[in-house]
Amino acid sequence: MASTACFVIVSKNDIPIYEAEVGSAPKKEDLAHQHQFILHAALDVVQDLAWTTNAMFLRSVDRFSDLVVSVYDSVVHTRFMLLHDSRSDDGIKSFFQEVHELYIKIFLNPLYLPGSRITSSHFDTKVRALARKYL
Amino acid sequence: MADFLFLTVEDVSDLWLNVKESFEGRVPVKKACLNNKARNPVFVDNLPAEFIQTTDSRLRSRFPQEQYLFWFREPYATVVLVTCEDLDEFKTILKPRLKLIVQNDEREWFIVFVSKAHPSNDQASKMAKKVYARLEADFNTKKRERCCKFDLHGPDAEFWDDFDSKMVDCIRNTLDRRVQFYEEEIRRLSEQRFTPIWNFCNFFILKESLAFMFEMSNLHEDSLREYDELELCYSESVTSPGKHREFGGLDTGDDQAALLNPGFKALTQIVQDDVFREFEFRQYIFACQAKLLFKLSRPIEVAARGHAFVVGFSKTLALHENSLPFCFREVWVITACLGLIKSTTSHYDGGAVSIDTDKEFYRLQGDLYSLCRIKFMRLAYLIGYGVEIEKSPVNSASLSMLPWPKPATWPSIPPDSSAEVMEKEKMVLQAKSREKLFDIHRKPLPLEPSLLLREANRRRAFLSVGNLSELYDSADGSGLDANSKLSPNRSASNFMTRTMSGPATSETSLPVDRPMRLSEIHVAAEHALKQTISDPDFMSSLSSVEEFEKRYMELTKGAADNYHRSWWKRHGVVLDGEIAALFFKHGNYDLAVKSYEKVCALYSAEGWEELLADVLPDLAECQKILNDEAGYLASCVKLLSLDSTLFSSKERQAFQSEVVRLAHSEMKYLVPLDVSSLITFAGSAGPPLELCDGDPGTLSIVVWSGFPDDITLESLSLRLSASSSADEGIKAIKSSDSHVLKPGRNTISFDIPPQKPGSYVLGALTGQIGKLSFRSHGFSQDGPVETDEFMSFETPTRPVLKVRKPRALVDITPAVSSALLMNELQWIGLIVKPIDYSLKGGILHIDAGAELKIEESQMIEIEHYRGDVEHASSADSSAEAGRVEKIPIENGKIKLPDWASDVTTLVWFPVRAIDDTIARGESPASPQKQSVVDGMRMIALKLEFGVFHNQVFERTIAVHFTNPFHVSTRVVDKCNDGTLLLQVILCSEVKATLHVKDVQLDLQSGFEHLGKGDGRPASSLFPLVVAPSSRAGILFIIRLSGTKDLDEVENADSMLNIKYGISGDRTTGAHSPVPAQVGDSEELLFKIALRLKRPVLDPCLAVGFLPFSTDSLRVGQLVNMKWRVERLKTPEDSNISSDEILYQVDANPQNWMVAGRKCGHVSLSNEQGSRMEITVTCIPLVSGYVHPPQLGLPEVGEVNISCNPAGPHLVCVLPPALSTSYCIPAA
Repeated sequence: MASTACFVIVSKNDIPIYEAEVGSAPKKEDLAHQHQFILHAALDVVQDLAWTTNAMFLRSVDRFSDLVVSVYDSVVHTRFMLLHDSRSDDGIKSFFQEVHELYIKIFLNPLYLPGSRITSSHFDTKVRALARKYL
Repeated sequence: MADFLFLTVEDVSDLWLNVKESFEGRVPVKKACLNNKARNPVFVDNLPAEFIQTTDSRLRSRFPQEQYLFWFREPYATVVLVTCEDLDEFKTILKPRLKLIVQNDEREWFIVFVSKAHPSNDQASKMAKKVYARLEADFNTKKRERCCKFDLHGPDAEFWDDFDSKMVDCIRNTLDRRVQFYEEEIRRLSEQRFTPIWNFCNFFILKESLAFMFEMSNLHEDSLREYDELELCYSESVTSPGKHREFGGLDTGDDQAALLNPGFKALTQIVQDDVFREFEFRQYIFACQAKLLFKLSRPIEVAARGHAFVVGFSKTLALHENSLPFCFREVWVITACLGLIKSTTSHYDGGAVSIDTDKEFYRLQGDLYSLCRIKFMRLAYLIGYGVEIEKSPVNSASLSMLPWPKPATWPSIPPDSSAEVMEKEKMVLQAKSREKLFDIHRKPLPLEPSLLLREANRRRAFLSVGNLSELYDSADGSGLDANSKLSPNRSASNFMTRTMSGPATSETSLPVDRPMRLSEIHVAAEHALKQTISDPDFMSSLSSVEEFEKRYMELTKGAADNYHRSWWKRHGVVLDGEIAALFFKHGNYDLAVKSYEKVCALYSAEGWEELLADVLPDLAECQKILNDEAGYLASCVKLLSLDSTLFSSKERQAFQSEVVRLAHSEMKYLVPLDVSSLITFAGSAGPPLELCDGDPGTLSIVVWSGFPDDITLESLSLRLSASSSADEGIKAIKSSDSHVLKPGRNTISFDIPPQKPGSYVLGALTGQIGKLSFRSHGFSQDGPVETDEFMSFETPTRPVLKVRKPRALVDITPAVSSALLMNELQWIGLIVKPIDYSLKGGILHIDAGAELKIEESQMIEIEHYRGDVEHASSADSSAEAGRVEKIPIENGKIKLPDWASDVTTLVWFPVRAIDDTIARGESPASPQKQSVVDGMRMIALKLEFGVFHNQVFERTIAVHFTNPFHVSTRVVDKCNDGTLLLQVILCSEVKATLHVKDVQLDLQSGFEHLGKGDGRPASSLFPLVVAPSSRAGILFIIRLSGTKDLDEVENADSMLNIKYGISGDRTTGAHSPVPAQVGDSEELLFKIALRLKRPVLDPCLAVGFLPFSTDSLRVGQLVNMKWRVERLKTPEDSNISSDEILYQVDANPQNWMVAGRKCGHVSLSNEQGSRMEITVTCIPLVSGYVHPPQLGLPEVGEVNISCNPAGPHLVCVLPPALSTSYCIPAA
């Protein structure tokens, strides 16, 4: 498992609707800030890149020192962004795909307002389990 | 030597000086078609070239070896300049000489024959032509023409074209040949690549020569490709395992990147064994590439390649870091970036490029600036300016992930530097960490990848481990933190003790094994950097904090601006934040606010709250300092509306108290504050409140307060907007509730005045805190506060209030439709039926119309109305249903009891219809028409109900009153003795059983009762029961009494007095009157006037129409009409005793023509039984059924005549018989 990994789902308006620190490294308060900053800045790259490809998995779009931002363009421009230091592209892809499935389920929930914050604890648990599995 | 193509001029006939000027005017060659490396023709513009004479010193001075090296610089073409005016001379002298010159096959040549002949001199011209023809014959081949003729006196245009094409041909051929040669050489060398004899330098010389040749020929693309290949080959050769090679970079000035300056060092300086030193050579190659790219006008590519090169080379430098000066890598990167930025921007005009390319260029610039900025910050941090660097996420992320430099050994303190150390200490001490507004305490973000103190001391090889650990445990255990300024809340005094007690101040020469303190590290680093950095300008920017900040600002601004221009707004805005921080530090609050606002706007719009929470307090502080109350308040509100986990409750309380304090202070400009994100509201769950038109109501809405504490509001009002129309012309509705909002959910009710029909959604919530008016548009869908931060304006808002269209809310109908008794106190029942609407507190106004009086002394009775439907299921509620409540009536008003507000009730109230006229009976003598309207009485009802009696129901109902009986009379029989049997027929008019108890008839004069004379009927059957709608007859025996005055008889009335009782139900109709006083008898009296007429009937004469003598009547045929008149009795009166009767025949003159006497007297005896006949001849005029003429007796009253047939009848008249006299016999 990657020592550092921060997973964020960003709605089409670039608003983060789900955040999770999924790295195995001990949590540091100051790091969360940095991760947020890096992921936010990476949106600049994503906005350019998203229109150049048909693929949903945009691979690593940005690099910050040793950290890499991988992005998956899900339904209606909801973006999954993962900040990580691991190299396994396949693992990340699988992770994204499974989270995509989960997200679709959330999306189809009639009580979920698309674009609002995902507060489902079930979703959270599942995402963390997937992170342990693939990252 | 200049980078030109050389063209030699073989000046055979000493003509060069004559033609030099015009020849040199042809270079650079405007258009040339050359072959590139792939042998494809390429058009080259402005090919630079220079003419030199073969005798030029530059061609001769070379050593043979050098000539080999610079062979590519050899002339590309030889122009042989000749002239000759004589054929013989040509043959004998010139031709052999030319042959000699051109026999060298390696050279490309062509001959220019210069004709000196003046055009006017025909002879000379002719001669020149001849010689030139000869020349052509000798030197032109079939394949190629090598001669051209130049007329000294005015050369024509064709010549120059010819000249140019020949020159270009030569150049091209030479170039091709040389390229081929070099390629073969390179191929040969490449084959030996992995043999020991292979030498990169040789390969390099060939390759670069080729590249240079291309460059000279303006074939930059090919040249660039050669350099690219060369770089690739170098990378392979340098990374191949082998002997240790020198890296380079140790010369003075090497710290200034030379990646754009190929001539920085001579190549011979950097050659080592068989290969070049990497440091210099890589920069050289890049410089060559950049130069070519600039020539190709591709500065964007330079920037892109440059950025990659800097990043890559920085890594290479890291590998060799321990052999390089301290921080060499950082310095190099900074200078490289700055160099790249400078050169690329100067070459970039941004003109004819696509928008994407433009963006890409600026992004690269931004990247370069940003990279440069980070390295610069690192250097500054090392020399102790770290306290001045903002500990923002961007700086922290950049610096804390960037490893420290790794020199072989960390620089130590130079001797005699105690003063500097003192100064550094002082700087550290003076730099107090800024007290943030609202007492926000955040652990500052780190700017170091690991503790500098530890890192620096660890890298000093001679430091023992024991001392190191001692250092960490020194003082109170937080010494390290204090030194690295990571703990701003640590008291300064504590820090003082720790530093001042140290041995540093007294000792200048450091004992070898003592770990350095932080200030010493800074001083050591500064000294080491002074050694590393050769550029005094650069060094000066690190000389003081001010200089550092100046340069830092420059770099940050550069990065930010470029990112903005590249549309990377997030990158740009983040750096804006850094600029703002610096402005802020220097008290330049105006500018700081501008930048901070940009940052906050972005983070706020995109909802990255953690990042927002970082900068927003700074913005708030600036605004506070600038006295921008509106902005400051908005910031405070925004801070409060951020996720509550981002700030401690104490901090949040501080925000709130700021808001409250400002709200209650004297503000210069009262601005409405938008608190949409802080105070949200929604309609309470469930269906919307439904109101009827015109009704006020109470709407309770749920308000979530994001304030951490209770907050007192001066007022709170709500705006509703109609969902159908967009106009917000609705008045704000004030809340009557107490205005203290608890944190979290509050339910507040609003009294809503009557609204127009329609459905309403929540508009805005406005209110006042102190003097501050605020406004919130934030409607949350529902649910807890956590989801409130997300507001979706796209979702349709639920209506909270529905005002129905006007409809009937209540219905009042009369309970009984049948008639009531006139002149008696009767109950009128009203069914008051609320239609899904409460009548609570309703007041019923009853306004009786004319001739109707409400008995106010009586109580009103109210009872449940049991309709048909309720009847079936009212078993359980029978007790309730049977209840009758008596309530008073005052001034025609009744207050409905509360229990009656939701149920259909029956209201009974007593009225008396007044009819002063005396009823009249009907008799054959005085037929009388009774109008229904006579008994109608109107009652105007008005029901006021609703909460504020705002609803009004008005109705006028008609009630029908009537007499109990309809009376008619007739004479049943007229006896011979003059006795009359008078039948009085009583017809019940009401739906109730009437008991006739006694009847008395007071006869008018002219009549008298027979018998007892008390006016009672003939037979006494009382009490007589008359069922509803049935009749009863009463017989009176009367007779005529003699009277003188006929008028009196005519005008007088008989009076019938009926004493009766009534037993009826008020729910069906007439009933026994309400006793006005206790003990009133139930016997009622009904008086009715009857008019009797005398004589009733007295026939004296009988007129009979006799049958016709013929069977049928025809038009035009005379017919006799016969009437028989017979006297029935002897006339009593003497005045009509005449025996003659006047007759008159009435006939319709259109139907009949009367032929006889129409009128006249006939005699008839006065005796009873005398008869006579009257005959009148008539002619019918029209056919059909017509009335026959009638006989009238004008002198006899109609009552005295009995007719047979009694009424008018019809007779049949046939059409006239056909007359043959007009017929013409058929021929």
